Parts: sequence; C-alpha cells; structure tokens
Amino acid sequence: MSKFIKNIIALIFLNYIELSFVGLMSKFSIILPLTFLGYSLYVYRSNTNTSPIAAFLVGLFVDLIQGSYFGLNATLFCVITYLIQSYSNKFKIFSYLQICLFFGLSAAGYVGFTQLVLNLYNFSYLTLIISTVFNIVFCFGVAIFSSYFPKIFRLEK
Amino acid sequence: MARITPTPGQKILYLLCIFLGVGILFIDYKTDNLNKIRHTYNSLVITTSYILKNYTIDLLRENFNRSKTKKALIKENESLKKALDVSYLNNYLISRENNFYKDKNVLKHPFEHNSFTNYSVAELKNLDPNVFNCCDKHRMYIEVISDIKQAAKESVVFSSSGIIGQVSNEGKYLEVILLTDISHSVPVKSLSDKFFCNGRGSGKADIIICSYNPLVWKEEILSNEIFYTSGMGGVFPKDIKIGNAINISDISPTRKDIEIKLSANPLDNNLFGVLLDQ
Repeated sequence: MSKFIKNIIALIFLNYIELSFVGLMSKFSIILPLTFLGYSLYVYRSNTNTSPIAAFLVGLFVDLIQGSYFGLNATLFCVITYLIQSYSNKFKIFSYLQICLFFGLSAAGYVGFTQLVLNLYNFSYLTLIISTVFNIVFCFGVAIFSSYFPKIFRLEK
Repeated sequence: MARITPTPGQKILYLLCIFLGVGILFIDYKTDNLNKIRHTYNSLVITTSYILKNYTIDLLRENFNRSKTKKALIKENESLKKALDVSYLNNYLISRENNFYKDKNVLKHPFEHNSFTNYSVAELKNLDPNVFNCCDKHRMYIEVISDIKQAAKESVVFSSSGIIGQVSNEGKYLEVILLTDISHSVPVKSLSDKFFCNGRGSGKADIIICSYNPLVWKEEILSNEIFYTSGMGGVFPKDIKIGNAINISDISPTRKDIEIKLSANPLDNNLFGVLLDQ
C-alpha cells in the first residue's frame, strides 16, 4: 500500500514539474513528457511485470491530473508497458545508447500522438522533431546521471 | 529475476485495455459526459489547496506579520514617546514662564529642520534612584542623541519641567551634577530682586538649601515663595524658575536656612536638553 502511495505521489510530483516547465519549454518548441518517461523508467527498472490493468488505471489517473481526455494516457501507458515488457529481456543485451534511443523515440511517439489528439489544428512537425532530439538527449542525460548515482534510480525489491 | 514477456492471455488483456482506452478517449472527445469527473477533481484540488494554504501558509504568514506589526508598533511607540519628550522640552523653552526665549534670546532658532541650534537633546543613560534618594552625591549620565553633539563642560541641563543640573564631565556620556548634589550650588533670588543667595544641594531628592544672614537680607521670606535663578554665576540663565520655599528654619541669630523644593525632578524624564550657547 505504501509503495502504491509512493508511486502515486511520485507521479503527481513528476506531473507538477512537467506542468511547471511546459510554458518555458514551449517557447523553444520542446515538449518533455516527464510523467510518461518517469512511468516508463519505473516499468523498465521494475523486477516484476506490471499488469495491463494497472497501466490502464495509472494512465487514467494521469489523464485526470493532467486534465487531458480520458483514455489518452491510459492507452499510451498500456502500449508502452506492453512494449517494455516485450523487450524486457532484449534490453539486457542492448547498450545504453540503444535503450536511450528507445525511450527517446517512445517519448517522441507519445508527444506526436498527444499532439494529434490535443492540438490537431496546430500540429507542428518542428515541435515533434525538436522534442524528439531533446527527449533522446534527456534520456542520455538520465542514463549518464544514473551511472554516476545508481542509488537514486534503484527501485525497492 | 528474469521477466517474462507477455503471454497470449496477457496480450489479449493489453489489447482489451487499449481498445477500452481508445473507446473512452473517443467518448470523451465527442461528448461532454466525462467532464463532470474532471470538474469534480479540479474543484477538489482547488478546495484542498485553499484549505491547506489557509491553515498552513496563511496562518504562518499571519503570525509572522502580527509579530512584525507588533515590533513595528513598539518601535513607533518608542519614537513617538521620544518625539513627545522633545516637544515637552521645546515647550518648556518657548513658554512664557521662563526667560530662556523671551528675554535673553538664548534660543534664536529653536526649530530648524527638526534640529535645534541652541541645545542638544540627550537621553538618560544612568541615574541610580537609590543614591538619588539617600546620598550626598547626585550624578546622572546622559548621552547626546541629536545631531549637534558639542556639549561643553558646565552646560546647563534641563528637562521639560525645569533645570536639572549642569555638565560636570565630558566623555562618551556626559556626567551631570544635579542641583541637589551637596557639592553643587546655584545662585537664586526672590521674585522681588531684593534677596539673593546660593542654593546648595541638600543631598535629598528635590531639595536645595539656601542659607543666608537675616541681618544682611532684610526681606522676609515666606513659605511657598517662588525662587528664580539670579544668573550671577554666569552658568545658569537669569530668571528661570527653580522652585518654592517649603521650610524656613532659624539656625542661629545670624543664619537662616530656606529649603527650596525644586520644580524639576530628573526621575520624571528620560530626555533632557543641554544648552550649548548662552
């Protein structure tokens, strides 16, 4: 129960940071889906499989706190959970670069899809491309940071 | 521990969840049916943050402001008290009852941009009331707080009710010898200008004693008669009210003592004026 509450608080915190920086980053045509990346990292680092219903419910909760359409994050969280679990064993032979590329591109896919739903009439490829590059670089940054400070990203068993 | 990839059953579940998600998304996109949930959540967040803010941050801020206001009020009160005392001093100087301003023109410009050209304002630093009420040596220490700081030795020190004494020593604080100190004497006279004597300190609070030879001074001194400075010593200005005679005693055929109760008490004030130029 305490683990569940911790995860929920972490999600709310990440969402708060994401919303705090969204205005600043949008000036540079950058969208950083921090909540989505945080959830993806959690599923990736977790030792157990996350059930699709949990992913769906977490997605619905993120929809609620982000004020987006219900089902948007639920669907995307289910998809990313499925992808990560499918590749969970293959990730072990991947290099950091490949994993960072995977997560960066996943984030770019998330950005593209959410923009299609939420911002269809102002959809910008420039935003998508810059966000993709930024997300990949961000994932690299996180990977380098986690290699220097491994304790921070270690999940409890 | 190795993680297993999704089994066919799990894949179906994933597929169902994704379809369900897309279905909900479609419904929410096309209709307003789910807006109620969103609005309820938003109102809950606003209410919660308002309550939390009201009972934590606002409470702390209010207490902080209250203490700050209290401090500011105390400070303002102190400065107002000081300003009031200064105004008493000014009133004393410019009042028609004494001669500082009217006749001698001692204060040429009593107020000039809130600074006084002819006297400095000084604050009481030390006066032992026990010694003042019992013993012979009556001294107090004051510090000049106004812009004009040069206070010479022997300068007259006065309060809002009258002359207190004169500066006996300079330093960081000015030492003031009070009129009641037994080693001090002030030349006094009666209102008629026909009787003069030296009022020396009695060592008792508020009392100076004037000894004279009744064979020399023929004027009869009555109880309650008012005495003024005579200005003969060259230190105190002339015609400033000193006090009233309260007791006249015959010591010998050639000596009478008049006890004069001073009109100014140093214990009544915290602020004093020190005359600079006479």
